This record gives sequence, C-alpha cells and structure tokens, in this order.
Amino acid sequence: MISHSGTGPVVSFENVSKHYGQLKAVDGLSLDLRAGETVALLGPNGAGKSTSLDMLLALRKPTAGKIQMFGNDPYHAVKSGRVGAMLQSGGLMPEVTVRELVTLVAGLHPRPVPVDTTLRRAGIKDIADQRVDRLSGGQTQRVRFSLAIAGESDLIVLDEPTTAMDVETRRRFWAQMKEEVAEGRTLLFATHYLEEADQAADRILVINRGRLLADGTPDDIKKRAGAKRMSFHLDGADETFLLGLPGIVSLETRHDFVQLQTGDSDATLYALLDAGYRPSEVEIGSLGLEQAFLAITAEDDQAGETESAPAR
Amino acid sequence: MRGILLLTQAEINRLRRNRRYLLFTVGLPVVLYLLFAKQGKTTAYGVSFSAYYMIAMATFGAFAGALNGNAIRISEERKVGWIRQLRLTPLPASGYVIAKILTAMATTIVSIVIVLLLGRFYGGVHLALWQWVVVGVIVWLGSTIFAALAVAIGYRYPPDQAQPITLMFYLVFTILGGVWFPLSGALGNIGKATPTYEAIKISTDVLENVSVPGYLVLGLFVWLAVFAALATLSVRSMAETV
Repeated sequence: MISHSGTGPVVSFENVSKHYGQLKAVDGLSLDLRAGETVALLGPNGAGKSTSLDMLLALRKPTAGKIQMFGNDPYHAVKSGRVGAMLQSGGLMPEVTVRELVTLVAGLHPRPVPVDTTLRRAGIKDIADQRVDRLSGGQTQRVRFSLAIAGESDLIVLDEPTTAMDVETRRRFWAQMKEEVAEGRTLLFATHYLEEADQAADRILVINRGRLLADGTPDDIKKRAGAKRMSFHLDGADETFLLGLPGIVSLETRHDFVQLQTGDSDATLYALLDAGYRPSEVEIGSLGLEQAFLAITAEDDQAGETESAPAR
Repeated sequence: MRGILLLTQAEINRLRRNRRYLLFTVGLPVVLYLLFAKQGKTTAYGVSFSAYYMIAMATFGAFAGALNGNAIRISEERKVGWIRQLRLTPLPASGYVIAKILTAMATTIVSIVIVLLLGRFYGGVHLALWQWVVVGVIVWLGSTIFAALAVAIGYRYPPDQAQPITLMFYLVFTILGGVWFPLSGALGNIGKATPTYEAIKISTDVLENVSVPGYLVLGLFVWLAVFAALATLSVRSMAETV
C-alpha cells in the first residue's frame, strides 16, 4: 500500500514560470495534486506540458516560482525513489538486453518490483532477451513504460504515454495504469488526446501558452464551455433563419440534419417551435470535451492576440 | 553507492561483449608488443627497449581503453537520451560519470596486466615485485586521467564532432607522448609535457631504480585536474539539455 506522510499535496506548483529569452514556455502556473488523484494535463502542442513535467522531474529548473513534490524539492523527491516517470521520447541503454535494463533500473530503486512482474505488466516478456537497440518503436515505448514501473513509486508521471500506440496496446496500457492507481498511487499524465483525458482522468488541467486555463472534472470542463449541443432533423429549414435563432453559437447542416451549438438551448428550442417548425429526433446534450477544449483555448488564443497586438 | 556499482556492473558486462573494443584495447597492445619488443634496439629512457616498449604498450592499453570507446559512447548516450532517463532514477547525479570512470579502470587493468605478463615472460623484463606493482598502479591510475577527458569530450560534443576530437587527442598523446617510439629532439621536448610521456617516464625511472623527479608526478596530477575541471564544466553546461 502507498503511504503518505503528512497531508500536504503530492505535487504543488506555485506561480512557476520558465522563460527562454522572450519565449514564456510556462507562465505563472499554479496547481496542486492530491494523493490518489489521476490528473490529465491537457493542451495543444507547445502549450508547456512537457516543460512543466520536466521541471517537476528536476530535469529543468524554473525561472521563477516554486515546485514541490511530497513536500520536498523535485530533485530529492526523484532521488528518493518516490516517482516513476515515462518521457515522451528517449533513450535506453544501448547494447544490453531488455531484461538487463529492467533489472538495472529496478536495482537502482529503493523498492524494486520483481523483474518478471514488471516485464509482464509492460507486455514485454516475450522480448526480454532481445537487445534494446534492436526493438521496434512500439516495443521501445513499452520498455520505457516498464522503467517507469520498475520500482514501487507513489507518483507516476507520464508524458504523452500512448502516442503511436495502436488501439489494443493503448487499452492494455490504461488497464495496467488502473491497477497501479488502485493501489493508491497518484498519476499525472500529459496528453493531447481528448478522449484519453476524458476516460482516464478524474481531473483535467487545461493548459495553453504556458498557463492554466481550466481545472476540473471532465464534466466541469465540458460545462465550462457554456454552450450546449443540439441536433435534429428538419426538412426545408432556412439557413438564414436558423442562424438567427436566439443563443446560437455555430451551425452545421447536412441535407436535413442540423447540428448546432447554443448558449441557451431552451431559448433556441422554443424559438424554433414557436416559428412553427416541428423538428424530429431532437437531441440536446453537453459539448464533447473536444468542443469545450477548443472553445476554451480559442478564447485564450484570441485574448493573447489582442494582448500582443500593440495599440495603434 | 550501491546504485553506482550496479551501473558499473552493467557497463562492464556490456563492454565484455563488444568485440571491437576488446580487440583494440587488449588485442592491439599485445600484438604490437609481440611484433616489436625484440627489435634488438639498445635502450630507451635508460632501460632495455623491451622494457620501455612494455610500459609504452601498457600505457597505450590504459589510454585507449579509457578514452576511445568512452568519449564517443558518452556522446551517443547523451544524444539518444539515456543519460536523461538515468536522471529520472534514484541514481545520484554524479553516478553516471563515476560509473564510467570505474568501468574504464576495471577494463584497463586487464590489458595492463596482460602486457606486463608478456613483458616478463616473453620480453625478458625482470623486475622486483614492488617495481611490477608500482608500474602497474601508475599506468592504471593514468587511465583515470583519460577517463576524465572522455567525459569532458563526450558531454560537450555530439557524436560526429566527438569522433575527430577524440582522434586528435589520441594522435597527439600517442605520437608526441612516445608511445610508439621513444622521444628525441625538438619534437621530443614538446612531447615531454604529455601525460602519456609522464606516465611512461615515471615507470621507466622506477625500473631503473632512480628517484622519480617530482615534476613528472606533479605533471600527471595537473593533467588530471585540468581534465576533471573540463569534465565538470562540460557536464554543467549541458545540464538543461541532457
């Protein structure tokens, strides 16, 4: 079982920034992770996810702000073996077999997991005696995953773990992660795959241009976008009229199928009915995570453009 | 410490399988010694040619073993991202470098001992036991100097630059250092500053049973300090990108 000394957050970022000259890769990021949570860091490429994780894992130093892991500075937390990490890319020791590599990394850990168990969990038992530099991309990825779970850690950090995985491998991966989390571990993963964040995470942190835009459950984020999705079948609907409906944000039509986003689904529906239309198969629901995400980040990008455009 | 030893063990296992490395660092000095030790020349640095050449080949084995494969290997491991991966483990930050140096020492001792044995049983070099031990230790400690140089080069340069830079040091230190033939003349005077020369000269002085001049020993320490400082600088300058 995982033990947590103290009741403080597992991870905390206090106003963390990372500047490269003029570029603000991370800009005043503050967040807390509590024990046992599964948190997704969601954002487009270049949002600052990898930079944030690098700083958390003591691979880079913040320009400003403070990062703590288990109440300690990142370097000491990593060196005490409380974190297992899988990066986006990266390297394995050349000229050794998979088994030798896993055995080495497990041996470096204060609480090693039996090597055969790790091999099985990562799905690499069948390639255990192959040389690490002679593996395919997918096999290499599974080996890198095995290194993250070679020791018993309290926090697992993954940076885009399922990129280029096929459906079956991805499914098996998340099934394994579920087991890890069930033992009380905290899991933080960065992804740009929305369904993955939706399905796997208890909590989503939306990151864009180095800043935290939203923090909540997948449902919270979907609601954040404000709008609702509405679809129905309607013969002969005039597009101009539809666009004029109250609350409407966007509209898509295909033959007689209408799909729209609205800020006030009640008003839109009543206006449609009052005008004499009788749509069929009406569906009203929350926006998918994708739309919510796009809405939130588009808003932010626009704000950024007006910021950086000087007053003329 | 335990982690560093585990890594060292893995590195040694890995090197043992690398045939090219073994051929070059153990095989080459052995073959050269067998070919040239009994050339019938008279003396060099005050000892028999066979004895000088034995020391030169042992030094070469230490040098090549610690520098050649290592510098390029470190450079590639950095490029491939293995060093970064290690930083995510509980292995202390200095662990990688220490393991590389320990590995170099573990592998060069083998070639040094083999060459010294050849000197005794093939080359007819007869020494007191203490002389064998002292010479072996001096040459062996010399390999730490070259291991530090390997780190300095490997951390700083990408593989396609590390290769020519390593080759340059290799040529300068072996030719100017009197590894292939004893030094003489003006070029020889320049060569006297190289660590390879210093290691060879100290050893031949020990063989001759004369007192070793302090400046030779000091010279070795200075080289060690210089390469260790360069290595530290290289490692630090690459801290964010490793």
